[in-house]
Amino acid sequence: MDYIIHLLIFISIYAILAMSLNLLVGYTGLLSVTHAAFYGVGAYTTALLMKFAGFNFFIALAIGVVIALIASFLIGLVISKLSGDYYALGSLGFNIIVFTIFLNWQTLTRGPLGIPGIPRPELFGFTFSGNIAYLALSFAFAVLVYLACRFIIGSSFGRALKAIREDEEALKCFGYHTSVYKLVIFAIAAGFASVAGALYASYITFVDPTTFYLPESVLLLSMIILGGLSNLQGSVIGAAVLILLPEALRFVGFPDTIAAQLRLFVYGLLIVLLMLYRPQGIRGEYKL
Amino acid sequence: MNIIEAKNLTKHFDGVLAIDRLSFSVANGTITGIIGPNGSGKTTLTNILSGMIPKDNGMIIIDGVALERLKSYDARRYGIARTFQNVRVFEQMSVLDNLLVVVTERNVWGALFERHGEYHRARVLEVLERIGLRDKQTALARTLSYGQRKLLEIGRALLTDARVYLFDEPFAGLFPEMAKLIVTIIHELKADGKTVILIEHNMELIRELCDTVIVMDSGRLLAEGAPKNVLKKREVLEAYLGE
Amino acid sequence: MSILPQLIINSIIAGATYTLITLGFNLAYGTTKFLNAVHGSLAAVAGYIVFFLGRSFGLSIVPSAALGIFGASVLGVVIWRLVFRPLRHRGASPAVLFLSSLGVFTMIQAVLAILFTSQFQQLGNVGSPRYEFFGAVITKPQVIIILAGIFIFATLFILLNKTMFGKAVKAIADDEEVARIIGIQTDSVTTLVFAISSGIAGLAGILIGIDIGIQPTMGLWVFLEGAISAIVGGIGNIYGGVLGSFLLGFAENFGIWKISGAWKPAIAFGILIVFLTLRPKGIVRN
Repeated sequence: MDYIIHLLIFISIYAILAMSLNLLVGYTGLLSVTHAAFYGVGAYTTALLMKFAGFNFFIALAIGVVIALIASFLIGLVISKLSGDYYALGSLGFNIIVFTIFLNWQTLTRGPLGIPGIPRPELFGFTFSGNIAYLALSFAFAVLVYLACRFIIGSSFGRALKAIREDEEALKCFGYHTSVYKLVIFAIAAGFASVAGALYASYITFVDPTTFYLPESVLLLSMIILGGLSNLQGSVIGAAVLILLPEALRFVGFPDTIAAQLRLFVYGLLIVLLMLYRPQGIRGEYKL
Repeated sequence: MNIIEAKNLTKHFDGVLAIDRLSFSVANGTITGIIGPNGSGKTTLTNILSGMIPKDNGMIIIDGVALERLKSYDARRYGIARTFQNVRVFEQMSVLDNLLVVVTERNVWGALFERHGEYHRARVLEVLERIGLRDKQTALARTLSYGQRKLLEIGRALLTDARVYLFDEPFAGLFPEMAKLIVTIIHELKADGKTVILIEHNMELIRELCDTVIVMDSGRLLAEGAPKNVLKKREVLEAYLGE
Repeated sequence: MSILPQLIINSIIAGATYTLITLGFNLAYGTTKFLNAVHGSLAAVAGYIVFFLGRSFGLSIVPSAALGIFGASVLGVVIWRLVFRPLRHRGASPAVLFLSSLGVFTMIQAVLAILFTSQFQQLGNVGSPRYEFFGAVITKPQVIIILAGIFIFATLFILLNKTMFGKAVKAIADDEEVARIIGIQTDSVTTLVFAISSGIAGLAGILIGIDIGIQPTMGLWVFLEGAISAIVGGIGNIYGGVLGSFLLGFAENFGIWKISGAWKPAIAFGILIVFLTLRPKGIVRN
């Protein structure tokens, strides 16, 4: 039972990541390969503030979101002028730079050693130490993010995002400053990813740089493509399938190091097969 | 009065002159045809006038204001709307959304908190009626026929409430009844005091619709004037026959 | 003793290494017009083929390098035929092709890690001869890298400028549709381009393996250094790529003069970002 709850917590966290990435890739057509970086910004901020400064989880989470917004704004200023594969490469570059900072700013992040012993969240004297309580917390955040994404998509802003995806140059002719739109949605998605990072850090109680590197961004991309681009439920389904799938691999009895690589192999294979044979994924309304 | 004036407009692509010291003017409230053989720079001119590509040299004066640099997102402020020769509708969006996106709030924060209100919807439905796509509003744009997509593009342009409409070969490949619809729309625009600039190959339509015609060849102005005078000119005929 | 000569030598070695990577990368980009991450994977694959042949069969470096280059070339063509060509036939955008290449890249990296572990491995004999001049040290493998860079550059120059194949490649790079209409066998030319570019990637991987070493994750660096050099130099332009490679090599090595080498990736991407924002078409515009 505890194992199932553990998986559900992970699905909630990854659902947040997948839905927010879908805002970029699925709705706006921006192939961002840097989502894991903002996930990491949220996780590291929460870890550092809670462990070394005694901050409350929710305040640390909020500060993490602010830092992710600032970071994504600066990054977005650069890459919002790009599109297509250049956008993808530029964003990938930032994933590597942020990873390099996690790894090498050792006085702050302890580098490859990571930060252990991150406390669990506390609210009005109640500690979310049990897994059921933590599931309730992460599920609540997932629902909030889902509703927020719905709100964004349903607005005039959301419609303009889709038009950017379809034909950015044509949309400009109707008076849209499309790079501002691209910048804002990039920052919003980064903010959500940072929330997922805070939940992850406080749940696992440990963070290290490798969790927030390129393979994680690739995993998130395969989740949303599998579930279906431009469809929020699809992202949740994609997150659930790709969290559960490696568990199946583990039951087959591969050693851990091989299982980890096998998982990566499957993520890569999924992207290739989906692009070749079913670009709209399980429930997608849009083909990249 | 002239709504658009171009003076010595020049544009290079990789060393090739696409527009070569082109000067002309378009009077307010008229229909101006631009004709010329393929590759004569008509579409390049449209792209410059709508801000999609920058000019190299020369001047564009819109309604008396000389523009140093025209960006595509500013074209709307100057009252310029356009369609594309190779139809560019928002393929994976509904017909309704294709039109709504033109009229809804464009400021980012305003747009984030705006649902499409009855006001926008009413305006869009009116245009849907005009372009004859009322019963297609929930269909994805990519499921429309070629002609319907061209009409959708014209619908988008109509919704901008522009003063100048650049139509890049709106009649090419259309069935007669759709062409008739577009002719009606162009007449209505003129009756409203709007300016229409029309790129077209069909000389019948040019004669029928245009007050003025501009003939281009190799990026240069070959002739300018009323269709009945210009279309008789020897060099104009040669430019076409020599194609 | 001044450190300057060594920095210059190191920059030249890095520039030559990136030149090798970028030459193949640009050759393929010219005809296919997408950023192909698999280019880096093929360098790693060739490195591991050499490693495997040496360890299991005691094969010496020259024949195993030949087999490694051949292997990379074949694998490159297979991936082109199975993945990229079908996608391009369907009119996939460069972003989709890049994403798919990232998928294949992830698969290859995982397979290499499963077969050979994630350990860092050295190719060839470590105690190779070292030469010294002006107080700077250069090893024999590094000399070979520079010579290989010159050789491949010269070969490609002749191939592209003096042969029918070169004319066909240029025609496809200009406009694939037109090339097909005037009777060029675009499909076989592109396949051949992939074979050559993948082979060059393999050669680069093997030389990097001898100079520094190999790791399953090296593909990422090979791809990124290649892509950055290419973009900085003017993407798709063979000669611009050489300029970009040396610019990157010098910037990285002089950049880490005062700070730790761990920040090298940040320097590389800093340069990419400067170019993407200020001069997106690179040094040499097409």
